Amino acid sequence: MEKSHKSKRKTSRPSGHVFIFPLIILVIYGVLFVLVPEQALAALRDSGKVCLGILPPLAFVFVVMLALNLFVKPAQIVHLLGSGASTKGILLSAAAGIISMGPIYVWYPLMKDLREKGAGNMAIAVFLYNRAVKLFLLPMMIAYFGWVYVVILTVLTVLASIVNGCLVAMFTKKKTG
Amino acid sequence: MKIVISAEGAELTSNVSQRFGQSPYLLVVDTETMDFKTLENPRDTFRPGAGVRAVVFAVSEDVEAVLTGYCSPTARNQLASNGIKVITNVSGTVEEVVEKYKAGGFVQGLAIKKEEKEQVTKYINRDILVSGLRNSAKQFANILPVTVGVVLCIGLFNNFVSKEALSSIFSGNVSLDTLWGACFGSILAGNPINSYVIGAALLDNGVSLFAVTALIITWVTVGLVQLPAEIASLGLKFALLRNGLCFILAIPVAILTVMLLNFIVG
Repeated sequence: MEKSHKSKRKTSRPSGHVFIFPLIILVIYGVLFVLVPEQALAALRDSGKVCLGILPPLAFVFVVMLALNLFVKPAQIVHLLGSGASTKGILLSAAAGIISMGPIYVWYPLMKDLREKGAGNMAIAVFLYNRAVKLFLLPMMIAYFGWVYVVILTVLTVLASIVNGCLVAMFTKKKTG
Repeated sequence: MKIVISAEGAELTSNVSQRFGQSPYLLVVDTETMDFKTLENPRDTFRPGAGVRAVVFAVSEDVEAVLTGYCSPTARNQLASNGIKVITNVSGTVEEVVEKYKAGGFVQGLAIKKEEKEQVTKYINRDILVSGLRNSAKQFANILPVTVGVVLCIGLFNNFVSKEALSSIFSGNVSLDTLWGACFGSILAGNPINSYVIGAALLDNGVSLFAVTALIITWVTVGLVQLPAEIASLGLKFALLRNGLCFILAIPVAILTVMLLNFIVG
């Protein structure tokens, strides 16, 4: 029991590989501070400005992320995805893609299971494409590009997901004959 | 029918244990044949959530009732929501309890006292909030290090990459710029926040919104880094086709987005 408690606490920390990239950048900064200190300092100041700019939208991101974690459960997403290849089913797959969270590769095995249980390629493709619409990141995107741009891009992304789903279904059907 | 009884020992002659979650053994007894199955219950009394295993066991054994001395409101609610009767204040040996149960000697059932119900609701709401906060903090903690790295990169990019170098790639030709944006977005991976930060920096350096939009779209729709995982789960044909079509679609979607934006905003 003690052992499982420890392992549980360990998994709640970010995995080590996420630190590799920032560490490499810090090493580059270190080298640049030795070679060209003035330019490196200017770069650090620029980064500070960017950092201050992203803090307020990041706070919103956390709030939306929390709301999704509280109200959206993976079981609901699976239920939406298994709704068949009808228009309603495709729209529900799109909705499932929009509300789903976490890295995309986490969802692949689940997609495989759903396909084995009868979910079509179209629904899976629509789901995967709609993961491009990140509800929790919309405040951040609006802060950078404005709400009109975000609305247009979001609507076009959902429409493109259906086109993508139709094409994937069409080509996989033809080829598998 | 099957019932679960918390017990001090692994035999039918053992006494009923007074606490469901922390009882040494749980016995699933078939009331018709008196056949029984035993689960040794870890006595992890001080750990939050002790008793969850007992609840899962009862639910997975598809039993009709749980008979015990005391059952916590949370466990009782979970059992009741799975249609399992919870009978408390039970004492005697397992054998005696089964006989009494068969003879209809217990009248308690799903009913939960009002104050217990309120306590259960309070516990559940608190657990949901804590778990939601924990998950969000974990997701956030995974995003932050790379985002900090990207922000530091932007500083380097602004000070060490000349606009001339950028314009040698992004020449101002809409189609070519969009294609380049889509290529960069397909190769790069990670949280989309980073694509927004990079996109904004590119815009500041004079790169067109067409290219930035294509980069933002392909960042999330095309996954060259994740392609092996997608192939392994969904097959080579599906993965290549889906990613290829996503790449091709990103270009008209990017162009259309900017054209509509220009049309609306003017």
